[in-house]
Parts: sequence; structure tokens; C-alpha cells
Amino acid sequence: MSLENLSEVARKATRLAIKKGADQAEATAYTLVEDLTRFANSQIHQNVATHKEGLRVRVVLKKRIGDLAVGALDPPSILSAVRDSIKIAKLSPPNELFKSLPEPKKYTALRGTFDRRTAACDPNFRADNAKRAIQIAHDKANFVKAVAGSYMTGSSSFAVANSLGTDAKAQVSLAQMAVTVISKKKGSEGHGYYSGFARSTREIDVDTIAEKAADKSVKTIQPARLEPGEYEAVLAPDAVALSLYYVSNGFLATWFQDGTSFVKYNLGKQVFDEKFNLKDDGRDMATLYVSPVDGEGVPKQALSLVKKGFVDERSISYDSYTAGKEGKKSTGHASVPFIEAFAAGPDLVNMLLAPGDVSEEEMIKETSRGVYVSRFWYVRTVNQPRMILTGLTRDGTFLIENGEITKPVRNLRFTDSFLDVYKGTQMIGKDQERQTLATVPTLKVSKLRFTGVSEE
Amino acid sequence: MSEDLARVALRTVQKLGASYADVRYVRIESENLHVKKGVPEEIRKGVLAGIGVRAIVKGAWGFAGTTTLKRASIVDTAKKAYKVACASARAKKTDVKLSPTLAKKAKYSTPFKKDPFKVPLQEKLDAIKAAERTAAAESKDLIRTSSSFFRAHRERKLFLSSEGAKINQTIVWCGGGLSATAIKNGDVQVRSYPASFRGNFNTAGYEFFESLDLAGHASETAREAIQLLSAEKCPSTTTTLITAGDQLALQVHESCGHPTELDRALGTEADYAGTSFLTTDKLGTFKYGSPKVNISADATTPGGLGTFGYDDEGVPAKNIPLIKRGVFVNYQSSRETAALLNLPKGSSGGMRADSPLAMPIVRMTNINLLPGDWKVEELIRDTQEGILMLTNKSWSIDDRRLNFQFGTEAAWLIRSGSKEQMIKQATYTGITHQFWGSCDAVSNDDWHMHGTPTCGKGVPGQVMYVGHGVSTARFRNVQVGIA
Repeated sequence: MSLENLSEVARKATRLAIKKGADQAEATAYTLVEDLTRFANSQIHQNVATHKEGLRVRVVLKKRIGDLAVGALDPPSILSAVRDSIKIAKLSPPNELFKSLPEPKKYTALRGTFDRRTAACDPNFRADNAKRAIQIAHDKANFVKAVAGSYMTGSSSFAVANSLGTDAKAQVSLAQMAVTVISKKKGSEGHGYYSGFARSTREIDVDTIAEKAADKSVKTIQPARLEPGEYEAVLAPDAVALSLYYVSNGFLATWFQDGTSFVKYNLGKQVFDEKFNLKDDGRDMATLYVSPVDGEGVPKQALSLVKKGFVDERSISYDSYTAGKEGKKSTGHASVPFIEAFAAGPDLVNMLLAPGDVSEEEMIKETSRGVYVSRFWYVRTVNQPRMILTGLTRDGTFLIENGEITKPVRNLRFTDSFLDVYKGTQMIGKDQERQTLATVPTLKVSKLRFTGVSEE
Repeated sequence: MSEDLARVALRTVQKLGASYADVRYVRIESENLHVKKGVPEEIRKGVLAGIGVRAIVKGAWGFAGTTTLKRASIVDTAKKAYKVACASARAKKTDVKLSPTLAKKAKYSTPFKKDPFKVPLQEKLDAIKAAERTAAAESKDLIRTSSSFFRAHRERKLFLSSEGAKINQTIVWCGGGLSATAIKNGDVQVRSYPASFRGNFNTAGYEFFESLDLAGHASETAREAIQLLSAEKCPSTTTTLITAGDQLALQVHESCGHPTELDRALGTEADYAGTSFLTTDKLGTFKYGSPKVNISADATTPGGLGTFGYDDEGVPAKNIPLIKRGVFVNYQSSRETAALLNLPKGSSGGMRADSPLAMPIVRMTNINLLPGDWKVEELIRDTQEGILMLTNKSWSIDDRRLNFQFGTEAAWLIRSGSKEQMIKQATYTGITHQFWGSCDAVSNDDWHMHGTPTCGKGVPGQVMYVGHGVSTARFRNVQVGIA
């Protein structure tokens, strides 16, 4: 279904809801195309092509809210979604904290977010690129044992309308490739990983992704055991992005209002190093899921989350409901209801950590004894207000001694406050790398507390 | 009509030349209710219906799914599955082989007394609101957030295969929970009932939700959250650890459920979830735990969130021992992975997809730690010094499922056989087989099913509902107090 047709569905559902007695109504119509070729043990083992469409209807009757999601866009489904959402609203108690659906605001559409060829990519193209990545990795060394990964192409499109006049839409095409290479020599395994995230297959550099993953893999054979403790650390973009994703929960209005956000207890304070500047900007083409509007059709605002290390009330992201609770306006961070079990509340999916002026090589050179971390894995929050995170390193962990990477080490577990970790930011890389939810450079931090070692 | 469309899909892909094909028509209904601080924050229903077509062509897999349930779209989806399989064949090393299974014509429905979708919305909202208000009433100053939840799920599915199977199933599950957050001077302490992350869930009717008696447990839950504010921090030491079921369920899930998945062991999840330390050479001999440790994958456990009649390959629900007296004896498998290992009994019946748009992958059913021969009270009385940890708060484990760390909402210091003092910020860490090797007691009087509706796996990501039958257990020499 075209983007214009999605808009028509959203408008139609909204009109229908008002006609049937709703005081306010909002409808979001979407399509998701996800085609993915997955490989492991150096061959394709899963290969899927999926097409999903759906409609979310939210109606308000004197502060009674009915919310319904259906996985269809045909006229009978629209009608039943509207009827049922009104039925739910009538049965619901009033939500006195609800102020209003968002007022319409003008926005400028973004150009160049949708590549038709990428959105409708042929499975043979993905299969051939998977084959190519597998070959490149095996060519790296005769002890490369297995290559795994995936190549995804597709698109997401949504249109949202509400009875106050909001009428907005957005669309992106997506191309993502990830490669994991496993090497084996003398009974020891080495693992390497690299990925690329883009809106066009033309931006996916298969050769570089496969080469980098293979290079890390062959270099991580026979890792040494490094004793837990505090070490300087050089965090590659993948590791920075994942840890930032968890830290960014502190910038959500839901956490702020519940009293679990670290920002709540540090208003106006310098929490991070002064070199640390973080923002969220849905219009910045350097991020992946660019969109001019959020899931409620509110124009996305560029939001400064951390400025010269400081956080304050302006660091908090809102959707219309959480903003209304504080008498504020939405910052344009409502999540998009792509799935039937959509999460309530704002989200941050376009984060950018400002680059510095040094190369990764210079960071390593400036490290006397530290750890180079390619990736973090299975990160979880142990303490919310102090932002203590735990997790592990994966796919390429190395010891740095006297300015040089000297040997691979076994995966390490870290448990540390990432307020402290980022306060200790010593150097920031000059090159940003696009990950799924954040575009970030490499960071060198003065200390990261490792609390355990995994077995080989 | 759904069967007609499914048959159209099956005929289309067979005519094109698939050597094997199956089609799933699935319709999922969901209901989520959430009351927070006296306000109905979420009253939401969802419906998703679609068809998924899986085919083997030229020895390789293809899958396509759609939510557009029109004949033309179904034909197109079947053609897509065929085309995708042909593309897969361009980068294959070996042909897919499936272990045999009887092509059944069968029906299965979750047994229940009260249909959770037919219980009036007001009744459900009243129940969670009463629990939430009771928790909030414990202290206006200290209980800063209180929430209560209800969730119900109904999945109707029809499975047809080119081998002649026709299986109709209706799976129904529901449940809920409550949580209270106490805050003082920046210290945030949460207590939940009957488990964290929105509660406990069973394949059952509304009677299961009623049996949780949220309102009856709300005051105690809130009081414990308040009590934690003045509790001392968990010491950093190596000691005896006793874990209650609402923590041990996730320990079993992460450190036994995932590593015994055969697809992980064979490397086909290497690009995301990871592999497994339980490599195929260890099958039948590896000492996973102490002789007290017996763990099974049982899709037949009454009420278990992973209980069904047939998996998404048409294999009947089975009860498979995974760990027998501490020894690793079986994997959870699919028809394809079982054939790769020539497993004599074929698939364990663990192939599941989270929607019609997802290709089934090896998933947990109910991974149960079988009851031991202790009573909980005896177990505590028998412990001179240790820590009892309750209710999961955080969890993390490496990509081979060896190094883990868990945090819990609350804990008690145990001295001379009794619970002496409540402590907070309790965490413990270990290496999977060393940890289970140190298990010297498992209770039997508090064994029950815990439901985990949010198990993530696969690329594209899938979220599955699985169960864990566990009780309280004791482990020696565990490192605690990391954070």
C-alpha cells in the first residue's frame, strides 16, 4: 500500500471514530516489509520475506481512552477497529492525567529516506551478497571455520491522522548486514563481528564488513585470561552505542516521572565529561531511522540530551501524554506503533554522540594498560538512578599495553556505573559510525570495572 | 475460510516444486491492562492474523508471510516462499533433511474454566486497580509508583503440511502482577508480586489470574519495598546462596534452557544470540550439575506457559529429560536439527514461531527443574550462613551461556538456620556448570510453574512465551554482592 493510501486509511478511521461519537480520535496506519537472508556455518539456513500491515486506533470519550491495534487495513477491519476502540473507551475509567491528543504542527518532509530498489530487493541479490561475504571471510585464513550473519532489506512506512487536524507520514527503506566469523586453531576459537546499517543497499559495503569481521576473528584465537579489575578502555562504536541505549533510558519522561532516571537527581549538574555532547535528532540523516514526525505525527525536535557533560530538565524526551502530565508540549518522541504490542511512552532512536578529533589508533597509543572492546553483549541495568550496568564483551576483546594491542583476551564481564564511565571520557574519536539507534564514535575512558572472566 | 486460504498457499507452493511445505494460518488476540498510580495507563487490545508459508526447494528453506488475507496475496506469498528458497539454494552446502514425524490430523485446546476475553473489562480493571491502590496506600510519601497488570493472549492456529498433517490448536494464557516502587533520597527499591516484569502467566483461563490474589498480596509487597530503603547492602563475599523460584526460573531459562537448544549448539544462532558451551561432543557425558539437578523440557506440564498440543512443525508435545542426575543427556531440537545429529527419537517438539510472519525456530517449551526432597523451611534451617535471594531484577549471560550475573529485588541474610535480616542490591555471579555443580538441595513444597512471556531469540527477532517449573534451591560457594 502506498504512503498516500496509508494516509487515507488513517484519515478515514479518524473521521469514522468522530462520526461514531468519539471526542477525539487518532489513527496510525503502517506497513512493514522485512526480507532477510540469514546464514550460518557458511551457508544460508533461513530466508524470509514478510509483509505486515496494521492500524492502531486511539479514541477519547471524556478522558476515557480506547486503544486497539489490528493487523489489517481493509475497510471491514478499519470499521471494526473503530467500533471496538470506542467500545473499550466506553468501558474504561477516565484517565484524569490525559490532556489531549497533539495539536497539528507543520513539518517539512525529509528527502532521500526511501530507496525503492532497496525496499523491493530481490532475494537473489541478498543471497549472492551472503555468498560473497562467506567467501571473503574464508579467504582470510584457512582456519576460518564458519561464517554467520544476515542481510536484511525492507521498509517501514506509516501515516498518522488525528481529529485535531494532524496529518503526517514518514517512510524509510532499510538495508542492514551483519557478519560473524568463527575461526578455529589448535582447539581455540576466535570470533569477529562487523555490521553496516543504511537506508540503501548501495551503502552496504559487503567486502569491508566481511573483511573486518574476519580480521577480528583470526586475531582473537587463543585469548589470554585477564584478571578482573579496573582498566582503561577503548570502546569501539558498537560498544558505545549499546551502552548509550541503556543510559538513554534516563532521558525518557517515563523514567523521569517515576523517579528512576539519573537526570532527576542530577539536574543542572555535570554528570559526564565536558567533551561529552549527546543529542537525539530524527531529522539528522546520519542516523538510521530518520523521520520528520513521531508516532503521533508531532514534528521530531532535535533534543540536546547532554551538553558539555551537563544534564537538566531540557534533556527529557516526551510524547503528548507524558508531556501533558507536566503541562508541557511533546518533544516529538512518541514511539511508532509498528507492532501490535506497542510500548507506551517516548523513545530515543536517533541519538548522535558528537565526534572528537582523534583516531582510534591515537587512543590505543595513549593507553598504557587497558582493554579494547569491540562489542558489548547482554547489557542490563542493575541500578537505575546510578546507571550501573552489567554485561560482557564479545567478538574481539584485546589487551592494550604501552600503546599497542598486544594480545586477545577472554570475554570479560563488566559491572560499573556508566555515569562514572562516561565521566571518565578521555578521548573521543573523529569518525562517527551508524548503529541502529545511535550514531557514535569510538571512546577512550579512564576506567571500566571488569568483575568477571568468561571461560574460553 | 482460513483453511481454504491455507490450502491455496500449500497447493501453490507444491505445484511450483517444493519437496516439502507447511502452511500456518494464525490469529492472535491480546489484551493488556495496566493501572499506575490510580490511573488506567494502558487499556489496549490487539488482533493479528496472517499466513506463513515454509518450503524446501532444491534442498534449501524459503519462508514468506503476510497479513493480507486475500486469495491473490496468499498466492503471491506462496510464490515468494518458493522464490526465496531458490535464492537460498544459491548458497547452500548441504540439503535440508527432516527427521520423520507422523502427519497428524488433530485438535488441541488449552483447558480452562473462564475465558479471560469474556470476563467483563470492568471486572479485570477493578481487580488490578484494587491491588494497585492497596499497595499505594502503604505510604503516600515513600511508595512513589505502584502498578498492577493484566494480560491475556489467545492464539488460534491451523497447521497444514505437504505430508498430510492438519492440526487445529487454540492456546490461551493469561496472568498479571503488581509492583511497588519506594524512593527515598535517590534510593529506588522495587518489590513485585508474584514475579517481576508484569507478573506470572499460565496457559489457563481467568481462574489463574484470580488465584494470584493480587490485592491480597499488595500490602506486603509495598511494605517490603519500603523496608528495603533502610536495608543494608548485600555484602561482597563468597557464600551459600538460596534462590527462590521467582529468581531460579530465570536462572534455569538462561543457563539451561538456551544452551540446550540444538540450533545454538550447531552454530545457526552464532550471528546474534550466540552458540552454546554444550557442544555435541558433550551429549550424554558432560557433568552439567550435581546429582540433585534434574531438568526437563516438558511441553505437557499442566498450566505451563510453554504447554501446547503440537509444535509449529506438527510434532506432538513431548517431555524430554535434558539433565539427568546432573548429566547432560538431551537437546531441545527441531526436525532438521534432530536429523543432523541422527537423534533416535527425532525432534524434541520445540519448533515455535511467535507469529504467522515468523519462521519457526527451536524454542523452549517448559524447562523444569524437577522437585527435590527438601521442604523450604528445612532447607533454610539447615543453612548455617548464607543469603536467600528473591525475585529477579536483572540478568545477563555470555554468548555461550557460561558467565552469568543476576540481580534480585530483595534478599535475606541467613544465620544459624533462620532469616535474620533483609538486604538490598543483591547480585550473584558464576559459571553455569560450576554453579549447578554446587547445587546440594532442591525443595519440593513450593514447586510451581512460572511463565516468561518475553523470551527473545532469532533474526528477525521473535518473542516467545515459555514456562519454568521450579522451586527453591541451594548452591554452595557462590560469589555475591558484585554491584
